[in-house]
Amino acid sequence: MKINKKIHKIGFLLCTMLLLASCEVQEFSDLNNPEVDGFETGLTRGDLQDLVGGILYSSRINLGTYYDDCGVLGREWWRFSSSDPRFTTDLLGKGDAQLDNNTFYITNPWSARYRTVKNANLILGFLDGQDLSAQFTNAEVTATKGLLKTFIAYELLLNLNLTDVNGIRLDVTDPNNLGPFVTKAEALAGIRSLLVEGASDLANGGDEFPFVLSSGFSGFDTPDTFLKANRAISARVAAYQADFPAVLSFLSQSFFTLNANDLNTGIYYVFSEDQTDLLNPMFFIVDATTANARIMYPSFVPDAEPGDTRLNKVALRTEPLTLDGLTGDYSVFLYKTNTDPIAIIRNEELILLYAEANITINPTETVNALNMIRQSAGLGPYTGPTDSASLIDEMLNQRRYSLYAEGHRWVDMRRYNRLGQVADPAFERPEDDVFSLFPIPLTENQ
Amino acid sequence: MIMKQNNLKLRKLLLLFFIFPYLVISQTSLSGKVIDKNGITVPFANVIEKGTTNGTTTDENGNFTLEVAALPIILEFSSLGYEKLELSVINRTPISVTLQESAESLEEVVVTGLATSGKRSNSANAVATISAEEITGTTPPPTLDGALYGKFAGAVINANSGAPGGGLSVKLRGATSIFGNTEPLYIIDGVYVDNSSIAAGLNVVSAAAGQGSVANQDNPSNRIADINPEDIANIEILKGASAAAIYGSRAAAGVVLITTKKGKAGATKFRFSQSTGWTEALNLLGVRDYTEARVLDGFGENALAAYIEAKNNGRLVNYEDELFGEHGIISITNFTMSGGGEKTKFYAGITHNNENGIVKNTGYEKTSLRLNLENQPADFFRVNLNTNYIYSSSDRGYFNNDNTGTSIGVALTGTTPWLQLFPNGDGVYPDNPAGSSNILQTRDLITNNEKVNRVILGGTANLDIYKSENSGLELILRGGLDFYSLKTVALFPKELQFEKPSNGGVNGVSVQGLVQNKNYNLSAFLVHNFNTANNINFTTQAGLTRENFDLDGQLTTATGLVASESNVDQAANVGVNQTRFKQEDSGFFVQEEVNFNDLAIATLGVRGDKSSNNGDANKLFYFPKASLAININEFGFWGPTTNWSQFKLRAAYGEAGNFPPANALFTSYNAFSTDGILGISLIGIKGDPNLKSERQKEFEFGTDIGFFSGRISFSGTYYKKSVEDLILQAALEPSSGFTTQFVNAGSLENRGLELSLNLVPFKSDNFQWELGVNYFKNKSEITELNVDPFNIGAFGASLGTFRIEEGESATQIVGVTPDGIQKLGDAEPDFQMSFSNNIRYKNLELSFLWQWKKGGDNVNLTTLLSDLNGTSHDYDDFGEDPTGTLPNGPYRTGQLGSNAAPFVQDASYVKLREVGLYYTFTGKTLSNVLGGAIESVKIGASGTNLLSFFDYNSYDPEVSNFGGNSIFTGVDVTPFPSSKRYLFNFIVNF
Repeated sequence: MKINKKIHKIGFLLCTMLLLASCEVQEFSDLNNPEVDGFETGLTRGDLQDLVGGILYSSRINLGTYYDDCGVLGREWWRFSSSDPRFTTDLLGKGDAQLDNNTFYITNPWSARYRTVKNANLILGFLDGQDLSAQFTNAEVTATKGLLKTFIAYELLLNLNLTDVNGIRLDVTDPNNLGPFVTKAEALAGIRSLLVEGASDLANGGDEFPFVLSSGFSGFDTPDTFLKANRAISARVAAYQADFPAVLSFLSQSFFTLNANDLNTGIYYVFSEDQTDLLNPMFFIVDATTANARIMYPSFVPDAEPGDTRLNKVALRTEPLTLDGLTGDYSVFLYKTNTDPIAIIRNEELILLYAEANITINPTETVNALNMIRQSAGLGPYTGPTDSASLIDEMLNQRRYSLYAEGHRWVDMRRYNRLGQVADPAFERPEDDVFSLFPIPLTENQ
Repeated sequence: MIMKQNNLKLRKLLLLFFIFPYLVISQTSLSGKVIDKNGITVPFANVIEKGTTNGTTTDENGNFTLEVAALPIILEFSSLGYEKLELSVINRTPISVTLQESAESLEEVVVTGLATSGKRSNSANAVATISAEEITGTTPPPTLDGALYGKFAGAVINANSGAPGGGLSVKLRGATSIFGNTEPLYIIDGVYVDNSSIAAGLNVVSAAAGQGSVANQDNPSNRIADINPEDIANIEILKGASAAAIYGSRAAAGVVLITTKKGKAGATKFRFSQSTGWTEALNLLGVRDYTEARVLDGFGENALAAYIEAKNNGRLVNYEDELFGEHGIISITNFTMSGGGEKTKFYAGITHNNENGIVKNTGYEKTSLRLNLENQPADFFRVNLNTNYIYSSSDRGYFNNDNTGTSIGVALTGTTPWLQLFPNGDGVYPDNPAGSSNILQTRDLITNNEKVNRVILGGTANLDIYKSENSGLELILRGGLDFYSLKTVALFPKELQFEKPSNGGVNGVSVQGLVQNKNYNLSAFLVHNFNTANNINFTTQAGLTRENFDLDGQLTTATGLVASESNVDQAANVGVNQTRFKQEDSGFFVQEEVNFNDLAIATLGVRGDKSSNNGDANKLFYFPKASLAININEFGFWGPTTNWSQFKLRAAYGEAGNFPPANALFTSYNAFSTDGILGISLIGIKGDPNLKSERQKEFEFGTDIGFFSGRISFSGTYYKKSVEDLILQAALEPSSGFTTQFVNAGSLENRGLELSLNLVPFKSDNFQWELGVNYFKNKSEITELNVDPFNIGAFGASLGTFRIEEGESATQIVGVTPDGIQKLGDAEPDFQMSFSNNIRYKNLELSFLWQWKKGGDNVNLTTLLSDLNGTSHDYDDFGEDPTGTLPNGPYRTGQLGSNAAPFVQDASYVKLREVGLYYTFTGKTLSNVLGGAIESVKIGASGTNLLSFFDYNSYDPEVSNFGGNSIFTGVDVTPFPSSKRYLFNFIVNF
């Protein structure tokens, strides 16, 4: 027994010693990625470049789905995907199908746009939260803010386009205390004032951004030139508000030129085959299979005036393609390679905005501008009546062909209450529906 | 003959009687030999004179001699794995004793603490044990985890696909975590072994994770498949926290303890086995019954012309058969030798597997080398060293979901019989005019290979510091290392239809991954044993543990390949992705076990763990355990003649942890680029540095009952395990910039019942029948949810998705219906049963194992994808439409978007998991062959999954598009179909 007691004591002592000497474990930070907190102090010029580079990247995520949403609902094309049937069921309202509030076609683009907003808001926070005088001039900081605000406004606008009168959240800086959903009118006003704020920052932003932008912003890569892009977006927003004097005023400060040979000046999303980059999601080959294809809505070609060169945006397939009871002969072929840039906003739209704004202000200018567009498309001058209703018809028709597959048709027809006209019964399945807006994603808890 | 010999010996003895009279006056010398029923000698069997301490053990050849005071006496013979035998000895005739193998496994030893084991009859936990015979005895299993089906109660085992080389999930006692690990911890001879499933980067081609789901759909194998089943002596399964608490913070999903074979002292034994056979598809669906009208209606005029032409030329092709109709040859060669002397024992084995899949260019090859050494330089010191080297290579094909129409499985759903996809004389494959991929070209030209080089080393040293009659102190030191490198190659050459730039391809893709994983673990324990005079035994153990994990993976993706190069630097565009994972854990374990003379056994213990993976790395988290077992049969109520051989009541409680996923603690940017400009962007997941580990608390109680020396034994266990601080990736308002956030925000509970019955209905010298029945069921429930109910897994509500909701099962499946979102099913089976039979007649042995899974639903999208392409085998049949108006195909596609019910299907099945028929030639028959050197030869035929019955409209209800490490399996998207195996086996012992 005595020996046992000793053993017990020795054992106990050994255990205690081992426990006390027990190894420390090392604490690791994120081994794979930079943590957000890391930028809250000591932000460098290199950091800012990377952070702004992130905006350029994330603003392009899920763009393909955004364009498909607008294009399929607006009957510009059908999206075939043999591995995801919901493109031809939900989006076209096949049978009893309704748009779901928790499916990729709304959740993915919606969250991608807000992610860019968050990326931008975080940078705004980093800029405001620390003394940057050693790294940046005040003008550089201001110019950066102007660029970020413009991006935020544009991203919000794209989401509003999807949910329309269901509205969006404007104030999303604090993830734990998000602002309310606001009405469409409030949203447009908020987006516009953010753009105006951004414009004022850009105007006071000196000569250079403290970072480089992608080639999609070539010609718009200094604060004063980027300001012109900001104004162009503002003009679109004002048109959505039907505030036509403001449209003209914004256009005058933008890169707008009434020149048929300069339709493509503007800012662009650009793509590359680099592994960490994105490819143009709107590119499919002409003879794409049901695996993934964009088939032109069959009314697009017959509805066009003879000789309209803008029909080069679609291409006749070798064979028609059928899926889910839909058959088409033409594929959407706006982009010829998978690295073609996609316009954010370009002069052709500005000319059409100019035409639209002038319908009530100066119809002669409307006809001038429309003729310029018609001429560029190989068509003769407009010969129809010049009353407002007729000019709106013609303006919407020119927008249909000039801005085909750029995400406008559905939005345009909706703002003129003409969604009933987008579908051609000859090409619709019996119970297909044209939806006017997407539900707010389920997880917004509305 | 024998009698004569005996007489001769008797005479010799008589002679001795005269020569050495003084010997026989005081003592009688008994001698004899102990053998088993196969005539193989049993070394080291205990031979004890009943009622005394006088005894001995048999030597290496099974011989013994024992001096006894006087005759008659009763001798007791016992040896691990054999039934105890009593023999009354009335004269000195040499004794030949045949021991019967134990009919029940109750006398085995099971784990009781980190450093101790004890008799199963004293265990308070329902620890399942599987013997080597059960693992490989009926038929050589495809992988180690594939050998566990139906062998014990409480595990849901599911093969993710039929691709060669494994890919299984094992879930013990229901849902243990929503976002954390759900696979048990595997420990082989004390070494923590990695069981990762590492994706080969196919997503760059499949874009499967593009829409809606980010989970890995690459169908990788899991690394436990590397372990060679032939090397295993037994497996112990700690199913829940009540038993697994000793492994603390990473044991919530259970622990699988694997012990490999050891040598026995004695003549060196050799064993050679060769299994040869084939594998073939378990179930093919067939082709739609096409008619001209149907082709015209569904595919248009051009297709009709092609159909008629192909039909007239007899050129209609069953592409399903073309793809999955292969008979893959299987060869498994295994050679082991074991033996040793009293001080050093060894076991060495080499196994080579070579298996082809049911799809051309798929297969699995593995070579495993093992050397286990045991050395005992002194009575008080023993060292064990286990070494294992494994090389494996698996070609897994290209299946599962995609969003590009290129995976062979998805492309098959759009491939109709009139297409001509075969290569021409020059080996040039035509493009598939109806899809983006020519399945035959993809099958023949792509590579999706995983190669593993792995070393697992484990060492144990036992030092008896002090030993006396009634107490002892032992020091146990353990170390283990698991190191592997995994090389993955996914090669999509530029000739492929979907890689050609003219078809929108990127001109070839080469993805090469290299993963290095190094885990090591160290522990030191002191175990103190103390017996009191009134037979109370105290076992105290205390020790320290440390585990390190380090995984570093690099994936290089190259597109735009130069010429026919697969080298990733010979490409237009190259991207690199590195993933690192490091974790350091450290802790201690103390436990006290008190055994009142085998009547009652109580255990109390605690493990403390800290980990770099916790928010506060150096904070200790404690995982207590307590248990009590009472052997009512030992109290002596029933007297010595009772038929009750066991009646035990037991109860156990324990807690165990489950770490947050590695990325859950951080909110980080990911790096990308735009037109050559680098950028960092959020990816939508918000981490939380203060996240706590999940904590599982499990209480189980049960009984073990045996009658007629174990010919009937029953074990029943009820458990209730709850998981608190459930880590959830709660949905955040996406307008916050994050779509999900990791939070501790819920609890779930599993209640289950496990029953096992083992019977030996017949037992005679020539005929024996053993029957085992297992039954278990588990019900999970989300008992608390502090975030909004959310959908998870699969592809969204319109196709059927899982939904986490308070008060509902953790694995319920919901979907859209005309009445809104409704519950449509549950992945959890109602119950599972298995029936194992072993029938022996003389040297002929038949074993078979049936497994029945009742209930549990899948989300079947394979059928839907075929329907959308108009190719499903039952497209024109009726039955699915409740109104009877529409054929199945149009009905199912018509429901899309408004009703997900047709896609949620009952995944019940009954499978003949294993069957084997063997004949053994024993020593007698073989005595004239090779001078009698051959001990036994066993030949037979066996199979895996030879019969299966299910009413499920795809290849196999056992499937998982998203792999295994989640409770949300059972999503069926054009998988690699399951297969069955036929093998002919030849085993020789010499």
